Amino acid sequence: MSAALLDVVDLQVELITAGGVVRAVDGVSFTIGEGETVTVIGESGSGKSTTAMAVLGLLPDDLAVLSGSVRFGDTDVIAEPGALRAVRGRTVSLIPQDPMTALSPVHTIGRQLVEAVRLRRPELAKRDAEARAVELLDLVHVPRSTEQLGRYPHQLSGGMLQRVLIAIALAGEPRLLVADEPTSALDVTVQAGILGLLLELQESTGIGILMITHDLGVARLVSDRIHVMRDGRFVESGDVEAVVDHPSHEYTRKLLSAVPVLGPWDEDGTAAGGDR
Amino acid sequence: MAPYLFKRLGQSVLTVFLTISTVFVLIRMASGDPAAAYAGPLATTEDLAKIRAAFGLDRSVVEQYLLFLKGILTGDLGTSYSFRSPALDVVLDRLPFTITLAVAAILITTLVSVPLGVWMARRADTGRELGANVVTIAGQSMPDFWSGIMLLTVFAVLIPVLPASGFATWGGLVLPALTVAILQIALISRLVRSEMAKNLTAPYLTVARSRGVSERALVWRYAMTNSSIPVVTALGTRFASMLNGVVVVEVVFAWPGVGSLVVRALETRDYPLIQATVLVTAALAVTVQLLVDLAYPLLDPRVRLGKKVSA
Amino acid sequence: MSTTHPGPARVQRSGPGPSAVTPKHLARAKITRQRRGSRLKLWAGLVCTLVVVIPVALARVLPLPGPDQQDLASRRLAPFTDGHLFGTDQLGRDLLSRVLHGGQVSLLVGLLAVVVSGLIGIVLGAAAGYFGGWIDTVVSRLLEAQLSLPLLMMLLLVVALFGPSIPVITFVIAIAQWPEVARLTRSLVLVEREKPYVAAARVLGLHRLAILLRHVLPNVVKQASLVVLLLLAQAVLLESALSYLGAGPQRPFATWGRIISDGQDYITTSWWMVTLPGLVIVALVVGVNLLGDGLRDRARRRKVSTS
Repeated sequence: MSAALLDVVDLQVELITAGGVVRAVDGVSFTIGEGETVTVIGESGSGKSTTAMAVLGLLPDDLAVLSGSVRFGDTDVIAEPGALRAVRGRTVSLIPQDPMTALSPVHTIGRQLVEAVRLRRPELAKRDAEARAVELLDLVHVPRSTEQLGRYPHQLSGGMLQRVLIAIALAGEPRLLVADEPTSALDVTVQAGILGLLLELQESTGIGILMITHDLGVARLVSDRIHVMRDGRFVESGDVEAVVDHPSHEYTRKLLSAVPVLGPWDEDGTAAGGDR
Repeated sequence: MAPYLFKRLGQSVLTVFLTISTVFVLIRMASGDPAAAYAGPLATTEDLAKIRAAFGLDRSVVEQYLLFLKGILTGDLGTSYSFRSPALDVVLDRLPFTITLAVAAILITTLVSVPLGVWMARRADTGRELGANVVTIAGQSMPDFWSGIMLLTVFAVLIPVLPASGFATWGGLVLPALTVAILQIALISRLVRSEMAKNLTAPYLTVARSRGVSERALVWRYAMTNSSIPVVTALGTRFASMLNGVVVVEVVFAWPGVGSLVVRALETRDYPLIQATVLVTAALAVTVQLLVDLAYPLLDPRVRLGKKVSA
Repeated sequence: MSTTHPGPARVQRSGPGPSAVTPKHLARAKITRQRRGSRLKLWAGLVCTLVVVIPVALARVLPLPGPDQQDLASRRLAPFTDGHLFGTDQLGRDLLSRVLHGGQVSLLVGLLAVVVSGLIGIVLGAAAGYFGGWIDTVVSRLLEAQLSLPLLMMLLLVVALFGPSIPVITFVIAIAQWPEVARLTRSLVLVEREKPYVAAARVLGLHRLAILLRHVLPNVVKQASLVVLLLLAQAVLLESALSYLGAGPQRPFATWGRIISDGQDYITTSWWMVTLPGLVIVALVVGVNLLGDGLRDRARRRKVSTS
């Protein structure tokens, strides 16, 4: 079995809030191997986004206390927080939830993309870095890529911005992508395109994906393995078909049954379907 | 762009017009005879009548108002009673001094409050930042005339490093500009702090951090650039209120600008001079405001390039 | 069915683990520091304000010589001489007494001005925000115009023309301050107007004015009142600037600005005549500002935690 890209053991995240110490993540463990997509699915407040942020070390020091271990290869970023700088962008990259607020509004797309390229390859001259930036935009199927370099974030639609963000994430040549609800803020019609792009990239580069979502449809489409999260813990884990077709935990069943199913229209107004 | 420009220009002209008309009305409403003020206590009735005729004070109020408006358009704002020369010229002679003082104060303000605000934002809610917070609150709580007198006493009298008054040398600019700057520094540094704090916790900054951008670049390239827009606009907008402080400071330091001029004009009931001063200062303040409003699209790409590009 | 995680066998927790939060973490947490900061500000602000306000309020009752009581034998005495806590001025008048009695006038003027500007500002701002249309246009133009003008000059002019009496000075300061109240009220009302309860009230048939007065305003006034506190500080500063320039009230007592300008000529020989009254102003204004800051921090935190 291939070496794990990410190995999380007993991750615990406690948040010091106005209402006291809240245990947002209560001891979760999972692994992601090369070319795998692992999904953490749960409702709002289940702790799934907090898990993703904790893995990347993006929770503020004065708010969150982390325990357990989060290993990228040999490096445990909880034991050695200083190692995060080397890991961020290079080993693992983030694809954020809301593309409209994920980029600096007063800098051009090109500026931010080229900066990401040069962070990874500081030896590149400006023109070469720009060429690489255009390459990346083409990779994520952004039309008229050279033009887009000079545009500002507010000039692009949500779907386009998300592609740009994926390009920026890829600029670091990471082995793992953490996708924090990447399609939640997008129209349904655009979602499929983004998910398709992620799958395509995974096939061609063997990159691993940690997908965070509340949407069962998304999970089914992209995952190899799935963890169902609730109140900070995993209540069920397994291969996606196994969990979805034969859920063993009560909560998983409730989650699955919450998806409305269309049935035939009735003359007297009662619609069939609903609970499975 | 062009229709917006005309609209703003029209608004500015209207504002100045309203201001100067209000001054005109106020002066006419007051008790006291301007002719008597001009002529002095030893004037005879004939003298007063002659003066009234010369200044048009014997005409109806409406006629006076129309003459007054005509005068503005032709650049003739009457003759100053106390200086015995055209009021507009008297004001324009002293305007450069006030502008120098204002510009110096803005420069000092920017140089101090930006680093201070950034420092405060990066250490938000720590003990040291709380101390700095209290210092800025103190800065905006000191009456400007009092801090002026204190600075004057310490640096010009007790330790005679700087000149006490007037503008004989460039050194004379230091204390007055510093005094005006104290309040502005307090206010602008707090603005910088809150804008920086907002940007340092913004989603785009977290995302930038996630791809390994250095802390230094996060603060100075991303947060600072985003914060600079509201700060620059605030600096421009504060110009008018800064002129208030300038009036008092000019009196304390006997600075030969427009502020000390208007105080003297009020004491001597020199109405043409008062009107001229108000007109010029209002025009100046309104112009600065207009320039700031027009500069805004240049700074902020979201305003400059509104439309979404379909892709 | 759940599968075990791939990889070498590892000891994993089955239940919740122990908390890793240490007292050091709690002490350094952002929420703790914020709470501590605003608590400090509130207390310090309250103390500073009361240190000035209480003696001023009790001025007539305290065992001090009258503020206009001259004693040419005791001219320009240093502080703490002969029972004069603040010393005396060039006419032998007890400085502390002058400061406290003048303070009564300053505070009175400040309070009145804030009340008047508060009323005007809330009424106009709420009307502009709620009814929109031409009311909003007129009020907004007035706001813009006034904010871009050299206000102090106009105020000095009014005082020069109509005399430095308390009503005139109060009116003048109120004119200077109503825009800030109006602007805040207007934007608060604009936000409230879009909330569902307003639409619900309209559906129930309530007249627009009734909705404004009985429902919208109470929600808005609480936030607006914080600004009013800070305006009091500003009013005191403005009053002292006016009185320094000779445009302050003369009767019944000279106020702080005037006391300072009187003492200016003697600054090198009798520093207390300028420094001490100034420190009193600073103490009061700092106190009020700290209070306002602390309250605003607390209100902001409460809003964040409920969102």
